[in-house]
Amino acid sequence: MSESTPIEIRGLSKVYRTGFTQARKVQALSGLDLTLQPGTVYGLLGPNGAGKSTTIKITMGLVQASAGTALIFGRPPSDPRSREKLGFVPENPAPYEYLTGREFMEMSAALVGLSPAEGRARSSELLEQLDLQRAERLLIRKYSKGMVQRVALAQALLGRPRLLILDEPTSGLDPVGRSQIRDLIAAERARGTTILFCTHIISDVEAVCDRVGVLVRGQLVREGTVSELVSSQTSVLEISIEGVGLERLTEAMGKPLQARVAADGRLLVQVEVADRERFLGIVLQRGGRVLSLQGARFSLEDLFHQALSEDASRREAA
Amino acid sequence: MSARAVGALVTNGFREARRNRVTVVLVAFAVAMLSSSILVTQVTVRTLDRVVVDFGLGVMALILSFLAIFLSTGLVSREIERKTIFLTLGKPLGRTSFLLGRLGGNLLTLLVLEAAMVALYLAQLALLRTPFTQPQAMALIGLFFEVSLLTTVGILCSATLSQTVAAVTTTGVFFLGHLSGDLYRLVRTSDDAVLRFAGKAAYYVLPNLERVNFRLMAAHNQPVPLSTVLSGVGATVAYSVALFIIASWIFERRDFK
Repeated sequence: MSESTPIEIRGLSKVYRTGFTQARKVQALSGLDLTLQPGTVYGLLGPNGAGKSTTIKITMGLVQASAGTALIFGRPPSDPRSREKLGFVPENPAPYEYLTGREFMEMSAALVGLSPAEGRARSSELLEQLDLQRAERLLIRKYSKGMVQRVALAQALLGRPRLLILDEPTSGLDPVGRSQIRDLIAAERARGTTILFCTHIISDVEAVCDRVGVLVRGQLVREGTVSELVSSQTSVLEISIEGVGLERLTEAMGKPLQARVAADGRLLVQVEVADRERFLGIVLQRGGRVLSLQGARFSLEDLFHQALSEDASRREAA
Repeated sequence: MSARAVGALVTNGFREARRNRVTVVLVAFAVAMLSSSILVTQVTVRTLDRVVVDFGLGVMALILSFLAIFLSTGLVSREIERKTIFLTLGKPLGRTSFLLGRLGGNLLTLLVLEAAMVALYLAQLALLRTPFTQPQAMALIGLFFEVSLLTTVGILCSATLSQTVAAVTTTGVFFLGHLSGDLYRLVRTSDDAVLRFAGKAAYYVLPNLERVNFRLMAAHNQPVPLSTVLSGVGATVAYSVALFIIASWIFERRDFK
């Protein structure tokens, strides 16, 4: 329960009651444990309905947990002080559309506790940083989706937060808009800001996150760094060589090898991790050269699908 | 509770109302109605003062009550529906402070609108050489507290119901609030004990808006005792505070899905 830990979640559960009589129960989260270490970018991945937004809403104090605790810098979400060092961008952010970009920023600055002068200065700085200064006098209702997303991000940065919580920040954006948001996340990470990044866009997670958690049906089914998660699933290496033919290698290995020839003539051979040393020895003994060696591509997307199919199998078995 | 944050919400609420088309249309309508009272005086012979006062105060009460209901019942429910509340509550701001800021914004809007209408009304009195009297001043003060109470009812409904249901409920409270005294007097003479109890219960539970309605006295130029004004205002403020506490208690426990 340290004040320096940005987010500490223990045994968090949420049951929504729906229907006219509130009799129907929907389990959105079950016993979630999650800790964010300072300075990390944590990607919370999961399909729609996995509980990502519920986790964020409980953390932000927008929804009350049915069981368990969530602490932000050691404080419960019900304490407004827990949000003093926090910036938040919800999914599909909706700033007041009857305000101009600048009015919205200055109002948000006052809510963060900045003085009017500080608020004006910080708003100018962020509007410029997010390329909104030309639209600052325009009503938000006239903004494009990308501009709304940027102004929402700008307001989250007003108080120079130590923790940023971003719920689907790149959803619905074009490639340029997504790239801008990714750059901004990278810049905040460089500043030492801890970021909880919630999305179902896997390439975004791969691009910006240090650690990843995969949430399926309210439970954390995988957690680790991107490379840990991917390499734990990699049992095959792709070795790029030249100067020796596939036939000689197959003969020396004594078993068939999967290989293809690259456009520049290199031979790309797939080798089991267990056979790595033996294969490399054979290549070198036969006068070949090893150009590169890497784990065969098992993407986060593959991992994500694997987690989903495992969950489906578990449910079928149950 | 940060005064700066609440102040920002009050200013924002006022700005929102000012940019709302319905407010603008209603203010224009009020101006037209107040101005047209000059025409009404053309058809009166000996009771010019009474007609001007009655018509002027009546139009103000009607427009401000409608605006209080319209603006307050959408305050919270619209924020939840449009999800604008997520960005605001994502700040270091308690929910009660949020509600207080929104209430303050609405009250400021109503105060400014009433001040503008009073200015027009006074100009009209001056034009028609009708004196501005103590009962009229008390009626105008009472009117502000009446619409303030309606606003708190609207906010309570808005924190728990959808905008349409909240508007219907608050409108119902507006009518019952003006009729509760009459209803109580009516059922008190009934032989049915259950009806008598229900009437008495409704009288004590519902707000009595007639306690701050001095418009009839103003029209007849009957002086309003200060004690009557103070007790009426005191009761209205106490009722408003009680409603706000209930609204805040409910709002603090709501989930925003």
